[in-house]
Amino acid sequence: MSDRDGSRPDERLDGRLDSDGVARQRPVYSESQVIMTTVKVVIPFVMTYGLFITFHGADTPGGGFQGGAIIASVFLMIAFAFGIESTREWLANSLVVGLGTVGVFIFGAIGFGPLLLGGNFLEYTRYEPLLGDLLGLKEYEFVKYGMEAVEILGIAFIVSGVLMGLFFALAAGYSPSTDSLAVTGDRRDGADTATMEDTDD
Amino acid sequence: MIEAIRIGLIVVAVVLGLFFTFVSATGVIRLPDVFSRAHTASQADTLGAGFALAAVALTLGWEPTTVKTVLLLVFIFVTNPTAAHAIARAAYEEGIEPWTTGDERR
Repeated sequence: MSDRDGSRPDERLDGRLDSDGVARQRPVYSESQVIMTTVKVVIPFVMTYGLFITFHGADTPGGGFQGGAIIASVFLMIAFAFGIESTREWLANSLVVGLGTVGVFIFGAIGFGPLLLGGNFLEYTRYEPLLGDLLGLKEYEFVKYGMEAVEILGIAFIVSGVLMGLFFALAAGYSPSTDSLAVTGDRRDGADTATMEDTDD
Repeated sequence: MIEAIRIGLIVVAVVLGLFFTFVSATGVIRLPDVFSRAHTASQADTLGAGFALAAVALTLGWEPTTVKTVLLLVFIFVTNPTAAHAIARAAYEEGIEPWTTGDERR
């Protein structure tokens, strides 16, 4: 790539210092054209596959957990390709957290409903006298569609939300707030500060 | 006759797939630094997986599953080198100098 070999060195120095204290002849990081293009091509297929795994979970291999993980990986790919900070701005934090919260709430609602109707936790057939005529479903069909509802609206939401949240939390980095925690530092930062002190002296 | 050719092609593809996967695994263990490892992991591994999946597609014949296998092959060919590219870029960005002759192995 032409912008790699320092064709415009002045404006593209990133201000870091090498181990010998010389400003590095490296360009400032720019998003890779290759990764962006590939991600743009692949995303529709991955999203479709994730939704397929989620919606088909009740009678084929797969399910809410796997499908939710694949759906979350779509957003991880977007973050890798277009920059984590810009993705964080685009994808509101409240949406990520809300996805997980709504998932837990729906799972709980569907799960505790049969308890109120006098059954056990997640005993879907207890919904039959209440909703059977309304939805036109037979008793045994409630098992399948109840499971689908829990998988799609509960587990897939929770898993995709939590995985996205964990990724962004990890990407934000860890800065120890107290000295007792600052045992191991980032290797490069340590080297940089050391050389900076040397040159200052 | 055609059946014999098909089986021959399957055997050749499986053997080539095994060979390239072996080369890739050896490279990941033996090569000296991140960049050369990423290069063997993307190139040889893509070719190995491609040959293995081609063998699978030939074995299945004309079936709906074959379409899925070919799709899988296409996506491996697209995404595997991109992943290696991303790793190499990230390593370069972190300030890792590429290995040159005479350097220590890392």
